[in-house]
Amino acid sequence: MFGSHKVKIEGELLEKAKQCAEVCGYESVDEFVIHMLEKEINKVLPPNEGSTPSREVVKKRLQGLGYIE
Amino acid sequence: MDPQLLREFMRDGKMPNFAKLAADGSFQELTTSIPPQSPVAWSNLITGMDAGGHGIFDFIHRDPKTLQLYFSTSRVEGPKHSLHLGKWVIPLGGGSAEQLRKGKAFWEILDEHGVPNTIVRIPANFPPIPAKGNTLSGMGTPDLRGTYGTFTFYTDDPTAAPGPVEGGQIVPVQVENSKVNASLIGPDNTFQKEAPPTLEAFTVAVDPLEAVAKFAVQEQEFVLREGEWSNWIRVEFQLIPFFGNVKGMCRFYLKQAHPRFQLYVSPINIDPVEPALPLSTPAKYSRILAEEVGEYHTQGIAEDTKALSGGVLDDREYLEQARTVLAEHRRIFDAEFPKFHRGVFFFYFSSLDLNSHMMWRLMDSKHPGYDASLAAQNGGAIADFYQQIDQVLGEVLPKIDAHTTLLVLSDHGFAPYYRSFNLNTWLLNKGYIKLKNQSGPDSNDPLANVDWGSTRAYGLGLNGLYINLRGRERYGIVTPGAETDALIQEIKSKLLNEKDPQTGLPVITRVDVAREVYRGPYSQSGPDLLVGYNRGYRAGWKTILGAFPPNVLEDNLNPWSGDHCMDFRLVPGVLLSDRKIEAASPALTDIAPTILSEFGITPPKDMMGQPVFRASTTER
Repeated sequence: MFGSHKVKIEGELLEKAKQCAEVCGYESVDEFVIHMLEKEINKVLPPNEGSTPSREVVKKRLQGLGYIE
Repeated sequence: MDPQLLREFMRDGKMPNFAKLAADGSFQELTTSIPPQSPVAWSNLITGMDAGGHGIFDFIHRDPKTLQLYFSTSRVEGPKHSLHLGKWVIPLGGGSAEQLRKGKAFWEILDEHGVPNTIVRIPANFPPIPAKGNTLSGMGTPDLRGTYGTFTFYTDDPTAAPGPVEGGQIVPVQVENSKVNASLIGPDNTFQKEAPPTLEAFTVAVDPLEAVAKFAVQEQEFVLREGEWSNWIRVEFQLIPFFGNVKGMCRFYLKQAHPRFQLYVSPINIDPVEPALPLSTPAKYSRILAEEVGEYHTQGIAEDTKALSGGVLDDREYLEQARTVLAEHRRIFDAEFPKFHRGVFFFYFSSLDLNSHMMWRLMDSKHPGYDASLAAQNGGAIADFYQQIDQVLGEVLPKIDAHTTLLVLSDHGFAPYYRSFNLNTWLLNKGYIKLKNQSGPDSNDPLANVDWGSTRAYGLGLNGLYINLRGRERYGIVTPGAETDALIQEIKSKLLNEKDPQTGLPVITRVDVAREVYRGPYSQSGPDLLVGYNRGYRAGWKTILGAFPPNVLEDNLNPWSGDHCMDFRLVPGVLLSDRKIEAASPALTDIAPTILSEFGITPPKDMMGQPVFRASTTER
């Protein structure tokens, strides 16, 4: 449905991505890059556009703290 | 522990061991953090820095780009990537828990210098940072569902509305042929699409004549009389058949067998024997403790305050649960303290904090929630908990030799919480917030109706006020520099002039500008203004997550009736020692440098405090 898209990474950036993937325990550099993109997308897009949990879900998690209703 | 209450109880002879320590050594008020909230305060203590250095500004933080809210000290993340097969979602790699507090903890520095240490239940240390010594996480540790405590209440009472309630869930059941079939609600099964909650069935056979019931939970059977609590019951939640499961544990309380069936089940705690998330260093320490002292609450805030607030447990039942928590802590303390021979031993007791929150209304006849008949039954509850802590000190004092330094401290004091101030309603009324739909905010997602293109400031968290700053906030409109400075001064001035028409008292006695009071690289990552409420006032329940209740001020009728999220000068903690404290006004940020100095370690330059056993060289 969404298709796919190839991004070319080369040179120093690729080397650093490989290093990070290895240090952080990712299976491959592809997995590392996809995860980084997912994290950044979740930071930038509002909740309804990204895959972050809804405010209601977050509220339920936090209610046990006692300080909020 | 609150210094005013401590003085009162010492004067009344209720705390002889504290009185002895204060007389033979020192007792001073301890300046708390700005704002005086536990995650901030304990991070000050742990790192010797303020929020600008450790980056923890409130219980609740927000991402400026999404306005997504999260618990400030940790983030639990799902698996990095996943594979979808039918209804199953197979994770590629494991999930993780991330500690968000910045800066070095004092015990990390002790480790670097070879000083042995044991740190038990210190708040704001979940997941526990890597350490050489034994550490066990405390406040901030979630339950197995990833929440900060979700109880379940099963009943056949048709008047009880089923579904989620604050901090819990009401589950309707039927008693058929004296039998109840129900399910424990576990963590969301992220291995399945839509991530439904995992369920584990249990049955209850209710005696038709006696107020007693027999429970069967997986392989375990037990009998409870009405009004009786079970021991910890271990439960395994299956995520993928024959492959993945997680282990938790909970306690059952048979509130009523007849005429209505009423069963409370505690939040499902992470099992310390096989923890689903990291609880300790080394990882086996939580298990070793459980084997030595029996199971214990692993959830950071173990006292079930929400069950009392929601009326599921009454005062007596809540106090019984809270006393169990303290008994567990004393068992752990009694097992661990005798093993301490050199280095540092730290232990945190939560009882005074949580029970002062819940029981203040029973010892303060001015509180709007005061009830004379309830006060007659449990008005002495807070004093009782103070006395139990005095007993703990009584065990410790004889074992402190001339080569050992004792510090007894609290991260903040306490005050009544009579009235709520709804900061966002105030900002809306004053024109700092504009709404898209003038019919009113959406109660489910109030910030979704905010017109960010016309909004200049908003409140989130217990003391935080944020400027809608261009370049920082996703829809920021206020230009950094002169425009922001003027707006900050304007709002600060108006807040300080706000009077409660019911009492004539100022609602807010101090407003701090973050960049003026914080030091360090994160000084401008949190709120721009820290609202310091007068004694008796606090941010309203719903304004904390961005909502707009109709009234700016309202009585606090919640059993959560004492608080400390106020003007930090009004709620100092306590500091007692067997040695003479030379500092004129010791602060939480002094504790880490004090501990390091006891071992001849020069505190790092980014620690802002000074050892309390030396006279202060700078003015605060």
